[in-house]
Amino acid sequence: MEFLSLLDITFFLLAGFGALIGIIFGAIPGMTATMAVAVCLPLTYALGLNHGLALLLGLYVGGISGGMVPAVLLNIPGTPSSITTTFDGYPMAQKGEGEKALRVCVIASLVGGLISAAVLFLFAPLLADFSIKFSYVEKFLIILLALTVIASLSSNMLIGIFSGVIGIWLSLIGDYSISDGGNGKTRLMFDFMEPFLFEGFSLLPVLIGIFGISTILLEAEKGVKSGLTNERVRIGKGVSANFSLSIFKGRLTNLVRSSFIGTFVGMLPGVGGSAASVLAYTQEKNLAKDSSQMGKGAPQGLIASESANNALTGGALIPLLSLGIPGDSTTAVLIGAFTLQGIQVGPLFIPENTETWYVMMTALVFANFVMFFLMFYAIKYIAKVVLVPKHILFPIIVMMCVVGAYAINYGIMFDVWTLLIFGILGYLIQKVGLEVAPLIIGFILGSQAEIYFVKSLESAGTLSIFFTKSPIAGVLWLLILASVMFSLMMSLKSRAKRRQELLG
Amino acid sequence: MTISKKTFIGLGSVAMMASLTFGAGIAQAQDGQLRGNIRVVIGSTSTGGDTYQNSSIVVDKLAEHLDLNMKVDAVGASSAFRTLDRDSRGNTLMIFHDQSYLGHLYGVQGYSDIFEEYTVGPTVAINPGNAYLVPKNSPYETLDDIIAAAGNGETVRVAIQPGGVSEIGFSALKNAIAIEHPGMEDNLVAVNTGSQADKNQQLFDGQADVINGTVQANEQFTRLPEDDQKAMRFVWLTARQDTIEQAPEEGLGQTSREQLLEYVEPNVHVTMGDDETFTFDKEFFFLYNKDMDPGIVAQIDEALAEIYAEGEIQEVQKNAFFIPNFKPSGEASEYLYEKMSRYEEIIESIK
Amino acid sequence: MESSLSNLLSISIDFGTSHLFFPTIIHWIMAVLFAIILATKLVPFMAAVKRGERALPIVGEPMDGLRFFGTLALLVVYFYLMAVVGDMFPYTGYGFLFVSIPFVFLMSMMYLHEWTKKAVVIVLINAITAPSLAWFILAKLFNITLP
Repeated sequence: MEFLSLLDITFFLLAGFGALIGIIFGAIPGMTATMAVAVCLPLTYALGLNHGLALLLGLYVGGISGGMVPAVLLNIPGTPSSITTTFDGYPMAQKGEGEKALRVCVIASLVGGLISAAVLFLFAPLLADFSIKFSYVEKFLIILLALTVIASLSSNMLIGIFSGVIGIWLSLIGDYSISDGGNGKTRLMFDFMEPFLFEGFSLLPVLIGIFGISTILLEAEKGVKSGLTNERVRIGKGVSANFSLSIFKGRLTNLVRSSFIGTFVGMLPGVGGSAASVLAYTQEKNLAKDSSQMGKGAPQGLIASESANNALTGGALIPLLSLGIPGDSTTAVLIGAFTLQGIQVGPLFIPENTETWYVMMTALVFANFVMFFLMFYAIKYIAKVVLVPKHILFPIIVMMCVVGAYAINYGIMFDVWTLLIFGILGYLIQKVGLEVAPLIIGFILGSQAEIYFVKSLESAGTLSIFFTKSPIAGVLWLLILASVMFSLMMSLKSRAKRRQELLG
Repeated sequence: MTISKKTFIGLGSVAMMASLTFGAGIAQAQDGQLRGNIRVVIGSTSTGGDTYQNSSIVVDKLAEHLDLNMKVDAVGASSAFRTLDRDSRGNTLMIFHDQSYLGHLYGVQGYSDIFEEYTVGPTVAINPGNAYLVPKNSPYETLDDIIAAAGNGETVRVAIQPGGVSEIGFSALKNAIAIEHPGMEDNLVAVNTGSQADKNQQLFDGQADVINGTVQANEQFTRLPEDDQKAMRFVWLTARQDTIEQAPEEGLGQTSREQLLEYVEPNVHVTMGDDETFTFDKEFFFLYNKDMDPGIVAQIDEALAEIYAEGEIQEVQKNAFFIPNFKPSGEASEYLYEKMSRYEEIIESIK
Repeated sequence: MESSLSNLLSISIDFGTSHLFFPTIIHWIMAVLFAIILATKLVPFMAAVKRGERALPIVGEPMDGLRFFGTLALLVVYFYLMAVVGDMFPYTGYGFLFVSIPFVFLMSMMYLHEWTKKAVVIVLINAITAPSLAWFILAKLFNITLP
């Protein structure tokens, strides 16, 4: 165990410190893990490789999990991958179970993080070989599978799907980017919009606009009545609010499944983080014995979402360390840290840098535990955010949203205006009766769906490629079919139930 | 105990006025010099890529030398040009590479003629890594095999990212086929795709016979055993011979400089007609707002000249596999214009 | 039979216009869905509005106009001034700092229902400290570009 000599107190302090800063970044709406890593990247030059990696991996783990806090308490996803956490987390917070919800999230995050770290450690090279079996066709099918959640998520299937399609449409505005292999031409806009919208709307400002700003507009419309964020948001105290590990009873399959889904999606370069939690959420909704409460405040939704998005961390490191290809935007920044130190990442990274590899694993696992202890014991205090009177809280939320939106693409003013545009749009959508969650999922996955779909057809020239490409494609089709069938059944069942209630 | 609306509005406007007047004083200082906080926008959105890395090496040194607060922001090409357009005070500078004019030559939306619209500043470094690779078990041993195969009517698919640095080598190759085997150039087919991951994937899937890549990102793949699906082989580095000759002797990873030189001209010959060989070095340079004070242009030229004279920056650049390449703005502008004109001919002739 | 099926499925995409391929599909799906919704939901809904059974969203609902439109106006002024002031002190983050302080203050005051002295003092302190703290940590400590 040669590498043990490389670990010292500073190493662990840095990993822990990274996790703490990461959590703070993640907890501020608009600040992401990617930003945390990018901001601290220059520090690593002074720190040296091992210490630098400890800090960055801490930031990565902390940043991804910190996103749960605003998602649960304020209904604003702190990072795009915590979008599905809002579906059940916020309803729970409204029922006065915010603290309980956060605890469930933290435990799920830890398990997700550790499972993915184990998978990374044991199977990285093997899985890298598997991941390159996924070409555009299979990736399109994965996105399609994630999109099927729209059907089961919406309260009215027709409206939900329509909202989802609007989301996809919105995501297509801008250029068909040459960095994805498109032809770089803009569409769905007028010429005068081009200076602002050339690259389309960015994801994060859209998310915080549609969740954060529109919530504030809805409150303002009602006159910002009560002093507290929500008088029903009580912390602790309530009978059902008591947290105990028994929540996880019978949820083990969900926990493990979601962790594997997260790891797996993280592993596929380009598919991206948000798809992981959406996919895990879909699968829980489809496969659980009773998923009727999901979306209304069920811990199982939180478990699926949070274990999947933390499992991303290990997953996204797989292609980075065994192919030299980043699995998500944060690991793309990590590549910078390696090149700064003169280390190449590629298929031979692990065999050639065994010590660094062990150091990274240690930092990753340690950061997960630090994240767990920091969050688990700080939750009591963090959850008190909802006790801050609205007239103090709202302006601060707006201010932080502005900072996040401006900073996400390293200083673009239009991203701040995007907040307002989507704040108003989000307000109108909810007023008109369209559904926000499907719309946003459509928006997140839309542009990837386009690239994978068009590129598959471009090279194959026939639609049949989607069915005949590989056995993997076949399996994915089965999953898609099952998912669609399931949501149809659910909708019929609930319609029958409603009719019965009307009659009775 | 409520406070009247009037007091309240008064308070608000006082705060606003105070903030406005407080700042107005700072904005004026002597002319012709950089001042205040400087932001260097780059044409890439990645903070892990070569543009960011190279820019931060240069900008850090420059900030230290000029004792200014400078920062690199990875805003991407379209936003970077727009930000630069709006600021002629010298608080916004830009660093980018050959993509800035190649995008225009290829007619990509959002790119304008940089020699018209901006002031071209000094060059700072070269990334010598632009490469073309084939699968390790490919029937094509050399680039000549590929040219010959296309000349014989075989379809050769090349995975590239369209509209710039990644495409220029492809265009040159097509041009060479057109010269050596007239009429056969359409046998070289572009597979338009995105990131390096996508290009590699095209090779793994058998959707491409050749891919554009880089020494940095693909070197390890070239060392995999032949039976590995992921194994690749270099066939061509587009850099000039004397560029690679300046690389550290140990090369990159386990591929030495000597080995790299095998894939460069004159060993690999891509004709441009008239005995000329095509080469392409990816060069990083500054771009300034057209109306920026010439004093600032001179100031940065001077500062960089001093930094390069010290010799420390070259070491940092070489460690990161960049080739130091400082040319003051006048020289750089002329040189790049000439470079652009050569590539313009190629792109025109294969249209 | 088989060949006609493969003809039916075969598609060739011209790279030059490939940016319009997917949006066209989405437009069709959107149009069809909208037509169905129009027929099954909107028409019955409008009929119900006409009969006075249902109210139109937004226009037919009660709202706190002052606070709603006040919020919108404040946001527009806030975003606009931030860029303007920020441009006076390039890349220092002062635009954010100086404009956020009055913004936080005004928005708090607008949402505060009873202007007691104590409440206003808290609002004022918060309006000064929160943006200053955010500015200091992000712009100074982490060197993040702010307006």
